[in-house]
Amino acid sequence: MEETISPEMEFLGSASDALCIAQARRRQVYDDNSMYKSKNLHAERRRRQKLGDRLLALRSLVPIITNMNKATIVEDAITYIQMLQRNVKVLSDQLLEMDSLSVQEDEEPTRDEINASEQMKKYGIKEDVKVTGIDGNKLWIRVVFEKKRGGITKFLEASTSLGFELTDTNVTTSKGAILVSSCFKGIYGNALGVEQTKKLLQEIIRNM
Amino acid sequence: MYEEPGCFDPNNFTAEGAGSGFPQAVQKQFEENMDLSVDELSYHHHNHQEDAAVSAMESELQKHLAFKVENCDNNTHMLQQVVDDPNQLLSYDHANWNTGDIGFNQGDPEQNGHRSFNINSLPQTPDLLNLFHLPSSSLLPNSSISFANSNHDTTSLGFIKDLPASHSTSVLYDPLFHLNLPPQSPLFSELFQSIPQGYSLPTSRGGASSLFGDERDSSGVTAYQDGDGGMLEFTRDMACIVRRSETGKKKKPFTTERQRREQWNDKFEALRNMVPSPTKSDRASIVGDAIEYIKELLRTVNEIKLLAERKRCVRERSKRHKTEDDAGEDVKNCNIWPLGDPEQSYIGSLRSSWLQRKSKDTEVDVRIIDDEVTIKLFQRKKIDCLLFVSKVLEELKLDLHHVAGGHIGDYYSFLFNTKICEGSSLYAGAIANKVIEVMDREYAAVPPTSSY
Repeated sequence: MEETISPEMEFLGSASDALCIAQARRRQVYDDNSMYKSKNLHAERRRRQKLGDRLLALRSLVPIITNMNKATIVEDAITYIQMLQRNVKVLSDQLLEMDSLSVQEDEEPTRDEINASEQMKKYGIKEDVKVTGIDGNKLWIRVVFEKKRGGITKFLEASTSLGFELTDTNVTTSKGAILVSSCFKGIYGNALGVEQTKKLLQEIIRNM
Repeated sequence: MYEEPGCFDPNNFTAEGAGSGFPQAVQKQFEENMDLSVDELSYHHHNHQEDAAVSAMESELQKHLAFKVENCDNNTHMLQQVVDDPNQLLSYDHANWNTGDIGFNQGDPEQNGHRSFNINSLPQTPDLLNLFHLPSSSLLPNSSISFANSNHDTTSLGFIKDLPASHSTSVLYDPLFHLNLPPQSPLFSELFQSIPQGYSLPTSRGGASSLFGDERDSSGVTAYQDGDGGMLEFTRDMACIVRRSETGKKKKPFTTERQRREQWNDKFEALRNMVPSPTKSDRASIVGDAIEYIKELLRTVNEIKLLAERKRCVRERSKRHKTEDDAGEDVKNCNIWPLGDPEQSYIGSLRSSWLQRKSKDTEVDVRIIDDEVTIKLFQRKKIDCLLFVSKVLEELKLDLHHVAGGHIGDYYSFLFNTKICEGSSLYAGAIANKVIEVMDREYAAVPPTSSY
């Protein structure tokens, strides 16, 4: 927000300041707490300044302006926003149209999938499941499996359907493999032992 | 109707006698009052009282008056109504003119025996008279009108006295004028024209003060208090006078201060309703949100245009190279399409966009750079958002690469790094909206009583 204010604005700003001074003085008649009054005056002034500055910023964004007073700034902004929203709608409709017209072949994913297992072999990454018990009935798991389309989703789905949820989670994809390290908790308070959980997870990734 | 442009000469007036001269004089006076008052709108400095610059100010005043009176023609029709009902101009008894003392002093009813208007009985009206910076004066022998203000100090009185009778228009003078302020004529005339003529000056004054201030008002009577005795409080009275004259006539299309305020607030409300995620509802925040939203819309428009360009480019290329097999590489090639082609200026640029959306329990932040989409999700803890979000991402054909996050207090907070499939025409707004939609739906689907 630039500091320069047009002379008119500044003028009126100080005018309203004077108004405020006059009002503050009036209040003095009825109240002795002058410290409070002066603080209030500054706060008022700052508040008005803030609104004024923001209105100027708003006006600087809007290309079509009619008059230069507060009311029309807001009006023009409303008009402009409506116009922009219409543009977005029109353009996105056009885009969707273009999408429907041109049919894209999904060549890419299979290529990636082939690469995934190759990459894993290349880097010596193996599918793996590690489970550790922490903190009562909480478990910590560490699973490595091959990256497939929607692999993470499948993993999550499987876990949820078996009554588990992943709480604090970290999932990373690299070199064709996915690494999930997470807290593993029974949703309904159920708990399995470490070994059982490990077997469960191995089952899951085998079925993916 | 009257030839004298800016001068009200009370001496001549009294010579004429009652009746016809009086309304004209009053009309004139009103005119000048308003002119002066509107001028004073621009010069809201009450605190200085100096006799030094009297003459300079006087000449300036003359200049102003001449200028204003020209603009004041629109006022005349309103004033005409004042004129037409001289009886309703209650206290302007001719006798008082002659004595040269008409007191509109609230504290002083006996001074003017003909206060036939009852302050209390009249409805509140826009305060015409707060513009009447009526300096206090006791008896001014040669000026016909003197408005008394009990709190006024004598310096301005002395000032007024200095003016010759032919300039008695300056009786209705505000101490402000001796400030050598530059004539803000454009500002004034803009103010003057932006308001309905005649009647609206009080509101315009209110408008000016609220231009960068807030409305301090109680039903439209804004009175400066008299730290230095600049203003009167009984502005209501004069307004009532004028108002009275209008009852029975057709209502003119003016806007009272209240109406202006309401319209003003309505506009802010309208602005607030257009913004997708409004935060606080105070005016500064509304304007701030609007600014951010406009910037976001501009980003979105650019983004979509870029996508459209790329798509078009791909299509044209695939049309031209129908037999080629590596159609998938065309998009990349488009990115380094010869720069000399002015129509495809979007192609070489880096796509970048971001936006935020908030709903009641969900916050989403979507950033797109090139083909990577980063989604931050902040969700009140209740549902397993990981699963739902990853489903949504699959639906949108976003390839999930990294996820990180967990529970923070009552919330889930997650960061998703994904890649857009090539050729997808997804834009940031679409992603954010979809995510929010799904999260809200799922959130609502879970009964509130269940807890983990």
